[in-house]
Amino acid sequence: MTRDVLRKLNYELDYDIYVEYDDGNDIEGRLVLLDKPTSKPGLWHCSICTNENDQSLLSCDTCGVFRDSTAIFDNDSGEKANGKSNNSRASVMARSLFALSPHWLPKPAIIPDIFLAKEAAKSHEKGCIEARFSDLHKIFTSPQRNHSINIAPFQFDTPSPDDIVSAGKSAARNFPKVPLGSTKASSNIIGKKEIVNLLPDNEISNSSSASSSKDNHIDVRESSNSRDHGDAPQIIADDLHRLKLDKKSNNNKSKKAHRNVQYKPEKWMLSDQEEGTLSQLNLAVVGHVDSGKSTLCGRILQLLGRISKKQMHKYEKEAKEKGKGSFAYSWAMDESAEERERGITMTVAVAYFDSKIFRVVLLDSPGHKDFVPNMISGATQADAAILVVDASVGSFEAGMGGHNVGQTKEHAQLIRSFGVEQIIVAVNKMDLVDFSKERFDFIKLQLGHFLRSCGFKESSVVWIPLSAMENQNLVATASDVRLSSWYQGCCLLDAIDSLKPPHRDVSKPLILPICDVVASHSLGQVAVCGKLEFGALRASSKVLVMPSGDIATVRTIERDYCSCSIAKAGDNVAVSLQGIDGGHVMPGGVLCHPDFPVTVASSLELKVLVLDVVTPILVGSQVEIHIHHAKEAARVTKILSLLDQKTGKVSRNAPRILTARQSAIIVVALDGAVCVEEFSVCRALGRAFLRASGSTIAVGIVTRVLELES
Amino acid sequence: MKLVRRDLVSNGPGSVKVVPEEDDDMWHAYNLICVGDSVLAVTVRKVLREMASGGRDAERVKLKLEIKVESVDYDKEGSVLRIRGKNILENEHVKIGQFHTLEIEPHRPFVLRKDIWDSMALDVLQQACDPSASADLAVILMQEGLAHLFLIGKSITTTRSRIETSIPRKHGPAIAGYESALKKFFENVLQALLKHIDFKVVRCVVIASPGFTKDQFRDYLLLEAERRQLRSIIENKSRLILAHSTSGYKHSLKEVLDAPSVMNLIKDTKAAQEVRALKDFFSMLSNDAARACYGPKHVEVAHERMAIQTLLITDSLFKNSDISTRQKYVKLVDSVKDSGGTVHVFSSMHVSGDQLAQLTGIAAILRFPLPDLEDIEM
Repeated sequence: MTRDVLRKLNYELDYDIYVEYDDGNDIEGRLVLLDKPTSKPGLWHCSICTNENDQSLLSCDTCGVFRDSTAIFDNDSGEKANGKSNNSRASVMARSLFALSPHWLPKPAIIPDIFLAKEAAKSHEKGCIEARFSDLHKIFTSPQRNHSINIAPFQFDTPSPDDIVSAGKSAARNFPKVPLGSTKASSNIIGKKEIVNLLPDNEISNSSSASSSKDNHIDVRESSNSRDHGDAPQIIADDLHRLKLDKKSNNNKSKKAHRNVQYKPEKWMLSDQEEGTLSQLNLAVVGHVDSGKSTLCGRILQLLGRISKKQMHKYEKEAKEKGKGSFAYSWAMDESAEERERGITMTVAVAYFDSKIFRVVLLDSPGHKDFVPNMISGATQADAAILVVDASVGSFEAGMGGHNVGQTKEHAQLIRSFGVEQIIVAVNKMDLVDFSKERFDFIKLQLGHFLRSCGFKESSVVWIPLSAMENQNLVATASDVRLSSWYQGCCLLDAIDSLKPPHRDVSKPLILPICDVVASHSLGQVAVCGKLEFGALRASSKVLVMPSGDIATVRTIERDYCSCSIAKAGDNVAVSLQGIDGGHVMPGGVLCHPDFPVTVASSLELKVLVLDVVTPILVGSQVEIHIHHAKEAARVTKILSLLDQKTGKVSRNAPRILTARQSAIIVVALDGAVCVEEFSVCRALGRAFLRASGSTIAVGIVTRVLELES
Repeated sequence: MKLVRRDLVSNGPGSVKVVPEEDDDMWHAYNLICVGDSVLAVTVRKVLREMASGGRDAERVKLKLEIKVESVDYDKEGSVLRIRGKNILENEHVKIGQFHTLEIEPHRPFVLRKDIWDSMALDVLQQACDPSASADLAVILMQEGLAHLFLIGKSITTTRSRIETSIPRKHGPAIAGYESALKKFFENVLQALLKHIDFKVVRCVVIASPGFTKDQFRDYLLLEAERRQLRSIIENKSRLILAHSTSGYKHSLKEVLDAPSVMNLIKDTKAAQEVRALKDFFSMLSNDAARACYGPKHVEVAHERMAIQTLLITDSLFKNSDISTRQKYVKLVDSVKDSGGTVHVFSSMHVSGDQLAQLTGIAAILRFPLPDLEDIEM
């Protein structure tokens, strides 16, 4: 495995953790700390069977060998640069414990256990006594030695007898269905494994973090001593000591850990049947009204042959008849009579095409101010976004908004708070300004400044001048001399291919927020559309429909109008259900695993960032709250504390009002209950958007679910 | 409400005889009648009588009873007012001290006797008997998939109907489903409109929504009216008004009432004044936050310093069963008036009053900034 890919993995983990704690609070500062991604996304090679595996898989598909985890410890320099070394490092470790657990196969693990010890002894004879822990680890797991098992990180966590007892207790308390005896009875390594999994729980129950780290310290000595390591344990222990587990971070994660321990994904979920197929990318197209979003989408589809000539001809003819010749391409997206009549998009349209490396799902959002709620509920599933900007004089300025917020700005902020990090800015209608470089640079300067303030990192923003009507720079590089004379960058399609594939988590219990309920003949009576956030689905799976709490059975799954046998995290699918009444399935609900229902609540504690609002937020302010696809009227019942922008610490308690650009912890009461999870448990269900009087007033994350409804 | 007889001393004892006439009046009566007052009205009571043979016979008798009020219940959906208390008027069927529940009905007079007619009570009485202030507006507030039908009277807003339908977003072939779902949704709203809106009473019907839903609905409404020969709609075509709102939820109603086209229609009514006052408060809060305050504590402090220019207060605060609390607020209102400020008593049955109630029920716009309010805990 290349070092680059390792660094990549590491970067992702780091980022994940960082965001966990700081999202919504310090958007500006957030991305500055991150490493630049150094490699292209892609596959990793198993060191045993050289099988190519998907990035998201943690163990090899064919032989079950774990992916090399040196990355986790291989990052001394990178971490220091991060400036948050202690915290994130500990969390990375914690995470490595949790994340690798559920689909452990005993087969390859037994040999290395012994092998490793020998190896270790050998390496000492060679004079590696002074080697740092990470170096040691690398030696153990280097591919030439034919084993890349990351047993090492677990060694030092082998619990003391006390730990085992308390872990057992907590296991018995938490999941009575799994008696401890059975886990112990299974092969030795599995038993060990279980205990390791339980360790985080156990640590949380420890009252002081100091004592827990001390435990670890001792453990390391014990386990290492048995292998005659000489001085090495001390070094390892020192190393470990620096990694002192941050108690707080552990606490935040506790729930997640629980789930992983409890939930065992079935084998079919993990097996990647579609080896070699493209991974799915949900791409939202956003921007101010009339910037040409639908036309851009339509044009791309047409150029890629997704729209037949006949169909296109029909659109052109109809559009001409209505006297709206220029709207022909957008009609591919805007299908309802109402939308065509008025020439604007109202709801999010979905279209599919394949690029070189992605199966792209285009989510064409409405740009009009009144339809921002539709945009939110339709585009929260996005992994990346294209921000379309109108280059023509006056239109760009309108999008940026004079005294009030234009939709270019509002959408950019929303998209960022959806969790989207990568954005392509398509400067459209360049033909209207004669492909002027000055105009492009002006827009880049103006908008770039704003995007930075939203928290987009400069390196993850791609700027592309193009013209959808003139077909410049869409799927091929520009042909017009006026543009190609100064622009040599990639075209839009290449830019899409250069996006990093999003991280998918198949190993968690199913969560599918319902974006849409459709009555379609091909799908049967009740069908729901949405993106799988976690887990996987196949026909005949049982699912729990929340918030109604009814069980339904999956009948068929459709992706891009073709039925498929299995859907995994990240896929945007239509699922038809049987055994449930259509009235119980509403957009905004969630399909989940029957044993792991999502929480349904009507009172939430949020950490919010107030956007540029005119009217301040008071206790009692009435708002509309959007959480994934659900929307509900709500009111602010408490403003608990004001947070400092830079540090995230509480700067004052119970403030009177919240004004623009402040961040705070607030409590909201919803008129009706919605499916929601804390942000640390499930990000997709833990993001909230507050709107009032037609504009988005605050974005934030759910820090606590206060009132649970049975 | 019709005032039949009035015999009272301001800030002293006295009684009035009134006849409630419409739903609004029930709300006024509810605000007027406090625990401790006495109410005299004609009522029906089931009376048990021992027969000579020893058997018992139940009979419904019409009686005139006066009761000492112990609790007042108001049902806002049905506009029914029930008063529970002990009888104080000796009667052959009902002894003194027996409990009875009076139901106040439209067009039935009742006599209300109070020990103290404070200024708030007199205000309510005067408002209730002023026929000119009624708005009588119907508002259909909608967004795709959600509609509310409100009737707005002088001092109450009633939610007559709520329609919620799931409307699929367009997904290729499902587009037909979208159209038919939208049709069905509009049909439901149309039925609600026919059922609840009486054009003889309502001055006009405002259709409000974000985007184009309102236009779509109006077109649908007129088309269907033509097709089915719905006379009431065809004849009143000119009384359908379109307005913009940002959502279909109830709190967007204040945006509708604030729209210029609607504002013109309801200019002098209480509903309009409340909306305007609340808007002033919010604009003051955003322009000069130190010149606006809310919450009982802050308002009290501001009042001590004679800083209150406009006081916004909901009538629910006067409804407090604790007499001393009521007295406190009445005094506050009086003294603000005395010192030259204006007072808006919001009806908690209107959307603006509802919002004020969320903001603790009391707020004020100040004459001069009081920045140190920030430091006083709420």
